[in-house]
Amino acid sequence: MAAKTFKDPHDIPTIPGTEGWEKMYPYQYQFSKDDPEREAFESSQIWYYDGLHYPEPHFPFDLIWDEAWSLALSQYNTRHFIIPPALGIDHRIVNGYVYITPVGIPDPEVVGKRVPHFLERAGYYYQNWDRLFENWKKKVTALIGEMDAVNFSELPEMEDIKVITEGIGKGSGYELLKKYDDLINMGLLNWQYHFEFLNLGYAAYVTFINTANQIFPGIPISTLTKMVSGIDVVMYRPDSELIRLAKLVIETNLEDMFLKPLNSADLMAQLATVPAGKQWLAEMEKARYPWFYISTGTGWYHHHISWNDNLDIPFDAVRMHIKSLKEGKEVGRPTEKLIKERDRIAEEYRKLIKTDDDREAFEQCLAVARTVFPYVEDHLFYIEHWFHSIFWGKIRQIGNILHKAGFIEDIEDIWFLKRDEIKQALWDHCTAWATGVKPRGPSYWPKEVSWRKGVYEKFKNWAPPPALGVPPEVVTEPFTIVLWGVTTDVLSEWLKGGEDGEGVQNELKGSPGSSGLVEGRARVLRDVAELADLKEGEILVATTTSPSWAPAFVKIAGAVTDVGGPMCHAAIVCREYGLPTVVGTGKATRLIKTGDLIRIDGDSGLVTILERA
Amino acid sequence: MPGNETMYTLWYEESDGKDFNFVGKKNANLGEMIKAGIRVSPGFSVTIFANDKFITDTGIKEKIEAYLKDLGPVTFETTKKASGYAIDLIESAKIPADIEEDILSNYRRLCEISRTADVPVAVRSSGAISMPGQMETYLNIRGEKDLITYVKKCWSSAYNVEAIMYRANKGMGFLFNIGVGIPKMVNSRASGIIFTINPLNGDPSKISIDVSYGLGEAVVSGLVTPDTILMDKITLDPVKTIVGSKEIQCVYRERGSDIIQTEVSDDKRGRLCISPDELQELCRLGKLIEDYYGKAYDIEFGIDADLPFPENIIILQVRPESVWSKKEAAARTEKKKDPMERILGQLLTGVRLKQ
Repeated sequence: MAAKTFKDPHDIPTIPGTEGWEKMYPYQYQFSKDDPEREAFESSQIWYYDGLHYPEPHFPFDLIWDEAWSLALSQYNTRHFIIPPALGIDHRIVNGYVYITPVGIPDPEVVGKRVPHFLERAGYYYQNWDRLFENWKKKVTALIGEMDAVNFSELPEMEDIKVITEGIGKGSGYELLKKYDDLINMGLLNWQYHFEFLNLGYAAYVTFINTANQIFPGIPISTLTKMVSGIDVVMYRPDSELIRLAKLVIETNLEDMFLKPLNSADLMAQLATVPAGKQWLAEMEKARYPWFYISTGTGWYHHHISWNDNLDIPFDAVRMHIKSLKEGKEVGRPTEKLIKERDRIAEEYRKLIKTDDDREAFEQCLAVARTVFPYVEDHLFYIEHWFHSIFWGKIRQIGNILHKAGFIEDIEDIWFLKRDEIKQALWDHCTAWATGVKPRGPSYWPKEVSWRKGVYEKFKNWAPPPALGVPPEVVTEPFTIVLWGVTTDVLSEWLKGGEDGEGVQNELKGSPGSSGLVEGRARVLRDVAELADLKEGEILVATTTSPSWAPAFVKIAGAVTDVGGPMCHAAIVCREYGLPTVVGTGKATRLIKTGDLIRIDGDSGLVTILERA
Repeated sequence: MPGNETMYTLWYEESDGKDFNFVGKKNANLGEMIKAGIRVSPGFSVTIFANDKFITDTGIKEKIEAYLKDLGPVTFETTKKASGYAIDLIESAKIPADIEEDILSNYRRLCEISRTADVPVAVRSSGAISMPGQMETYLNIRGEKDLITYVKKCWSSAYNVEAIMYRANKGMGFLFNIGVGIPKMVNSRASGIIFTINPLNGDPSKISIDVSYGLGEAVVSGLVTPDTILMDKITLDPVKTIVGSKEIQCVYRERGSDIIQTEVSDDKRGRLCISPDELQELCRLGKLIEDYYGKAYDIEFGIDADLPFPENIIILQVRPESVWSKKEAAARTEKKKDPMERILGQLLTGVRLKQ
């Protein structure tokens, strides 16, 4: 039975020149040999690289969300809902890349004891899903509002007189430190909310997938998604707001202004000179909050900026929509058609079921899947997009303070500090400010950040192996199955790999994202700003896609991404647009160049480079 | 259709499934398909009645009956002798003038429709009961003289040794009149087989299509690994696409009627031999056929190189799927108290990883 295994996680060598990298991340993220029991555990698990979320090595600060979900996802499995056979997902970091492993419960007796608790606790959530989800939206929206109200400014030369006359009795240094803690705590709290429903959502969804597969072997995930997909999905709202704004441009004859090659600031200034333009700007302001907080990436990295961070992006998208509307093309999400299609597909499948038992199983699972699906789709906007986009902006405010105080050479250097180190630097800054002396930070951090940047570059050039350790016989952890798609096929593909990266590679394998076979010229986009270069019929190749790219989907013939599983957002969007898509190839943006003729097979997940540009 | 009983030929669209006793099963099916909106290659049937009239008027019937009486007990040897005797008689006889004239006038009309002189046709046997592979089908027959020769060859093929034995085993008599189908040859750029279920596991929610370059023989006889596409029957999305190696294709020899194998270029081997639109049209037709007959079907098709899409998609032959349709449907899922128990069951089972 003991077949092939991956490399032992303790045997991955340090990249020369990065010695000491471990201090960039929390100590518990290291594979270590100092405790034989922990070492044996680490060696016996399967650790897979979380390329779905992290196509790039980690910035020390950005690891906050990894820690946040490590706490939240795991606790809901282990301590809240008592998922019988699955504990949490453990995390490590190797050369800047995060590896994770599902932790099971081997003792059937322990599993059995967990069952009644699970039935009671998870049962309560499933039964009260809609009410609890409504409450969830209120909680999360309130928390985002609370966070948005927090702002960070430089410490004053002298406290305001009101601090004296109102007897406030505390200072700006203390406030800065406290607000920083508050901000971090709000972030962690939002990630607690993120998983309140998600574990159960995936468990229900995986049950639907497997039940449907028993009845209809090999039924595509895309078909199942069509049967359950929500109608009023918030992830599509940003794009429909842009369509509304594009229509308003046409209705109020503002097209000429939009056709000029102006950046958003200049265009807004021009619009403000005419009444129709003012009205349009007012409508845009309404749409911006919250819908322009959609990230241009997944929201996981600080450099995944939102539309609100760069209005040129939504303005360019409005221009694309105007063009499509003028050409009489269908734009946006054909909601009515989708509803009809969803009902037709479910109905026709029902008709094909031959026994009453199967019919009952199908109906029950479909109903539960439809209950949980709105959350599974919508939570992304609330947390990864809306919340994260505002959060990154707040950290930049702190970066600005530390930059002005000489701690870092550039605001964007702040991401090379761990969140605890930022706290320390703020202490250094505040106490020196209070005392009226020079802090140590300016002589300490620039040097340290410069070294960390060098290490980070070396991490970037390292290809993380897809997995380490020993493959298990059974995976029971629902996220591992649905989100990361860790299956027999994937593991064997990983075992095959390892030697790639040598020579010229003309084939790469990912997960089937959306079915279909297509050939076309590749357009590799590293940045949403390059969307304007996209030509009709090209195949989009990107690290990931975001719903904010929606205007581009009417143009392209297919898509390939570096990261993502069958349930990732890029895959969901492409299925909706009927575009053949392969997700999670790991390295498409590195191997494929713009202009290459490529073929993508959205059914097998194979991408072939047919002809180099 | 009243009055048909004494006709020698019928255009496909003039008969339907009920006429199988009169034109043979395959021909009757084609008529039925046209009525259902399924595109088939234009053509006509020579009726079973025509065959009967031929062997009666020429005296063949009597001669065979007399010969059999003298032959003695039925053995493989005597069957072989009887087979040879019947085939010789049929192939050397002259078809009564009125029957021949009827066949030829239909053929001339087919040439007109196809805007081709001496249009190539197939001459296919079509018995009133199915006898898979027992009788002959002749392809790429051109011109009036050959057509008449091959109609007789088709009739005589009912007396192949295998065909006689097959009937004897089923307790049927020696004499056996069949229908003959004469469709225009499809100039197949690619061809293949549709199953309206997944033939590997009987899943009714899939359509399976095997297709390769050239004539259908390559796929049917397993000479090549064709492209295999599994489609979702409901959404018409491809579920699994396997590009086959398709090293060779079967084509007709230039101006000849025999099939030769030619190499397929590397470039063509590496890609699918049909377009997404053609796939969609095949699925549409597959579903139409299944809906019409109310059960799973096995369908041969060709994609005609001379015709524009979608007229180029031509159904060559259909028959009911015979493996899975006979099995009794058993539940594939376990019985559970409620959805909660299903979710629990799923979690406890997990996903087993084979190593």
